[in-house]
Amino acid sequence: MKLIERLAHIDRRILFLLVALAVIIPLLVPMGLPVDITKPVQDIYNMVESLPERSIVVVSADYDPGTEAELYPATEAFLEHCFRRNLRVYMIGLWPGGTTLANIALNEIAQKYNKVYGLDYINAGYKPGGQVMLLSLGRNVADVVRTDHAGVPIDSFPLGRAVKAARDMSLIMTLSAGDPGVLHWITYFRARYGTPIACATTAIMAPQQYPYISSGQLIGILGGLKGAAEYETLVKRKGRAVAGMDSQSIVHILLVIFIAVGNVVLIYQKRKK
Amino acid sequence: MLNTIGIWIAALLTLAIYSFLYKDNFFYKIAENIFVGVSAGYWAVVLWFDYTWPNLFEPLVRRHDYLSLVPIIVGLMMFTPLIPKASWLIRIPLTFTMGVSMALVVTQRVQGDIFPQLQATFLPIAGQSFLTIVTNLLIIIGVVVTLVYFYFSKEHKGILGLAAKLGVWFMMIAFGASFGYTVMARVSLLIGRVYFLLHNWLGVLR
Repeated sequence: MKLIERLAHIDRRILFLLVALAVIIPLLVPMGLPVDITKPVQDIYNMVESLPERSIVVVSADYDPGTEAELYPATEAFLEHCFRRNLRVYMIGLWPGGTTLANIALNEIAQKYNKVYGLDYINAGYKPGGQVMLLSLGRNVADVVRTDHAGVPIDSFPLGRAVKAARDMSLIMTLSAGDPGVLHWITYFRARYGTPIACATTAIMAPQQYPYISSGQLIGILGGLKGAAEYETLVKRKGRAVAGMDSQSIVHILLVIFIAVGNVVLIYQKRKK
Repeated sequence: MLNTIGIWIAALLTLAIYSFLYKDNFFYKIAENIFVGVSAGYWAVVLWFDYTWPNLFEPLVRRHDYLSLVPIIVGLMMFTPLIPKASWLIRIPLTFTMGVSMALVVTQRVQGDIFPQLQATFLPIAGQSFLTIVTNLLIIIGVVVTLVYFYFSKEHKGILGLAAKLGVWFMMIAFGASFGYTVMARVSLLIGRVYFLLHNWLGVLR
């Protein structure tokens, strides 16, 4: 049997195995492929750099374990930048699992920079209600945030008392995996209160956000694991996004080869008929 | 200790799910059923502790806010189709929900989406660098020809047909970019799982 005919009937499990190897080998033997910084990522970094010390940054963890692989590294890198810049972090979440997951990164990185809970950072937890909640949050935070994620009254913390309405928030960073998420922050919160919004999204969602960058409604975007890797590079953090970039690149090359070979086989079969 | 048990459960369930790539099997089915059961239980807890209790019953029981009775009664009307004689009452919560949703969506979409996006297409095509002019022209032409494709009141012939065809090309490029990002996302999820297995479970990555 000719090679091209063998390829036409290749067992798909061989392709799965090749993809698995393309992921595993670069993780075990890193090649250190360069990570170029794109403008939307650089713009978020610059915005954080430009904020005065002790400014309040709202980090909205709008994801769950299903997208943890893409958004958790972005959470870590962004929090690292905020604490290094001595900014105060007010965490909230539009998805139930988001603030629980992001809380791990929040506590870990806050400890690294000797930050105090309630003074330098706080986790207000999951707040249901989507767009209605966001509109209320901007008008009067106390209407929707009464306790932190552990059920302690929010006004018992200095940072809890400091955030009264949208005017107290210098920047909102939404780590978004879908609905409700970045689109709600843009169309409801920013449109009504004018607070600058930045986002980290899953790669699937990233193309839909670019029109909002063009219109100035979004400062920038960390798109998928690649965006997180860029931010890790900017903040000089050795995280798992950068570690995964070699695998990402190798798998992409492999997929391009699969598509090319698949098309060659298809053309061959059509001509043969 | 608890953390180690958690990591082992997560690792074994990950392998059980990936075993489907070889062929459907007992371990995959077990993992799938556990996932469905855990998800249902998780959402039941979330719906009670994050939605119903703090927004409805807690204000009524703890703060004696009797206004909370209104949403409770209106909410219960959603179940009236179970009683044929009172089934007409479902119109009240439905019309309320529709009215509020429509008002919210229409006003905010116009204010926060349509107008700013429209404004973003009013771009200068003179007095800019060559690259900016080309980019701006691409955006303007792209928006116009894509909109032309969705204009169905006249047959797509002549200039209209040409513009519509160009619109299809712009959309195809956009779909291609979306698909590329989708592939990237799926690969990222795989990397995340493999990283977990090698780093957290096996400890071979530092």
